[in-house]
Amino acid sequence: MIEVKNIEKVYQRGSERVYALKDISFIARKGDFISITGPSGSGKTTLLHLIGCLDKPSKGFIKIDGIEIEKMKEPDLLTVRRQKIGFVFQHFYLIPGLSVLENVMLPLIFARKKRDLDEIISIIDKVGLKKRIYHTPNQLSGGEMQRVAIARALINNPEVLLADEPTGNLDTENSENIFELLNSLNLGGLTVIIVTHNPELAGRTKRIIKLKDGKME
Amino acid sequence: MTYIKLALKNILRHQTRTFLALLGIATSVALIFSIISFNRGFERGLSKELDATGLHFMVVSSGCPHEVASLVLHAAVVPKFLDIDIVNKLKQFDGIELISPILITQLPNPQKGRIDIIYGMDMNHISQLKPSWKIDGQLPSNDSEVIIGFEIADHDKLKVGDMITYTDYQKSFKVSGIIQKTGSQDDAYIYMPLKAIQEILNKPQGVTAIGVKVSRPQELNYITEEISMNVPGIQIVTMGQVLNSLANLAASAKTLSLSIAIIAIIISAVGVMNLILMAIFERTQEIGMMRAIGASRQDIFNIIMYETIIITVSGGIIGIIFSVAASGIIENFVRIFMPYVPSGRMILFEPLIAVSCLVFALIIGILSGTYPAWKASNISPIEAIRG
Ligand SMILES: Nc1ncnc2c1ncn2[C@@H]1O[C@H](COP(=O)(O)OP(=O)(O)O)[C@@H](O)[C@H]1O
Ligand SMILES: [Mg+2]
Repeated sequence: MIEVKNIEKVYQRGSERVYALKDISFIARKGDFISITGPSGSGKTTLLHLIGCLDKPSKGFIKIDGIEIEKMKEPDLLTVRRQKIGFVFQHFYLIPGLSVLENVMLPLIFARKKRDLDEIISIIDKVGLKKRIYHTPNQLSGGEMQRVAIARALINNPEVLLADEPTGNLDTENSENIFELLNSLNLGGLTVIIVTHNPELAGRTKRIIKLKDGKME
Repeated sequence: MTYIKLALKNILRHQTRTFLALLGIATSVALIFSIISFNRGFERGLSKELDATGLHFMVVSSGCPHEVASLVLHAAVVPKFLDIDIVNKLKQFDGIELISPILITQLPNPQKGRIDIIYGMDMNHISQLKPSWKIDGQLPSNDSEVIIGFEIADHDKLKVGDMITYTDYQKSFKVSGIIQKTGSQDDAYIYMPLKAIQEILNKPQGVTAIGVKVSRPQELNYITEEISMNVPGIQIVTMGQVLNSLANLAASAKTLSLSIAIIAIIISAVGVMNLILMAIFERTQEIGMMRAIGASRQDIFNIIMYETIIITVSGGIIGIIFSVAASGIIENFVRIFMPYVPSGRMILFEPLIAVSCLVFALIIGILSGTYPAWKASNISPIEAIRG
């Protein structure tokens, strides 16, 4: 469970204080599927980064499985990131020289974990790329690259999958496929939080958080 | 998969760039490896050659330039003749095993269009002074016979029994023996009975040096001091001095060339640093991504460090392989510039030098990798992946 309570994020831009987020509160229970929507600059990415333990709120608190993360120092945040968070990005960010298999295994290096090859391949199978484990990103389509990125996010068995505009770089058909993949992962019990501009896709999630100027509508 | 494999795959992404940086490091390490190996070979070759002379010290006339005097063991032509009386004076000192007057000179050999170096000495002393020589044929049995070094025989296609004629002096010598290849300067001389060369030069008592062998080498210092205090008009050149002055020559050449190599390595280290900085700049978002999916600052630092070290150490390995493979060419090149180089191979593969060079390449890697790695580890993940 993820609990977000009264959080505020302030950036200092010169002498000006920019409120990227103001008084945000919500709870994401295990198995939730939440979409965050709102215009550009409304604070969606900032919110996702806070939940993902990449940054700390200026005010309020965030609890992940009962752990208050805003009091933590970087080494502990890192552990939370490694154990509980899976990140997916708009631009996929796969490493060009590595195969699908190696890209998916990347988080294991950082988490100092070992998994059997069978387990890794079964995760790649979940995203439908079992036949392409030795291909490199330049041999894949955009939709396939995002599938690799999703498999990479799943490799450490996270509590929650955070995806920042995961379909933002894909055509309609591929967007639909990726959304369906996320949906099926959610049906399998995984908590999923996505940022999206697509109202149609947002409407198909269990809950929508609408942001405007850093505030919930 | 490991860090190292990840680093390796990363550097293989820009093969041309990586290759150029690698080449720079390889060249500099090859330079350093060759210089140090050459110097070691030089010292090794030198002491081998000096051992082969079988003498402990040489007495030459005072007033010879010291450099020439120190080269006397290598049959340099000493311009000044010694007073023959000195032989008798030397005989009065205790602890001397052998006194061998020597006359080294040059004789024009118009038939071959060249100037021969003649080493005139008492042929009965050869077994003591040159114990390692193997002679095909015999030692000269009279004053119209000579023995010759391997290179002379080889070059002039001379066989035992052939004649060498010095037309200017209307003198002919029969080759009674040919010395088998020694690998030292001995190969290039003609050894003539002392009396014969004295006669040719019309200096019946003339000698240019006196070789001395002592009975107990540990008394060498004491004996040379005694002699120089009591016998005026001479200078004594010991093996140690010869070794030192030639080694000094090699050392100053080494210092000069090492400084050039150090400059080369600094330039190539900057090249590597530049390569890595460029790669980091291009991979900012990728690094941000890695932080987001669980890499610590230290992880990022390590990956970049490994990338740098892989380049410099493999550059080092390639450089060493190249030096060993091309050592013949490198040696011939150096021989052009050095006034004196012992014969034989100078550059040999010495594991200790190779390991030191690799450690050096490792240090260069650490030095040129630290700043880029630190910079990469400071990339803010939220800045890098926003967008
Ligand atoms: N490092 C920063 N310094 C100052 N302002 C920032 C910084 N990061 C984000 N902002 C501001 O915070 C607001 C929210 O940004 P963001 O979360 O990226 O919005 P969205 O993802 O909804 O487009 C924007 O006004 C942006 O300019
Ligand atoms: Mg955004």
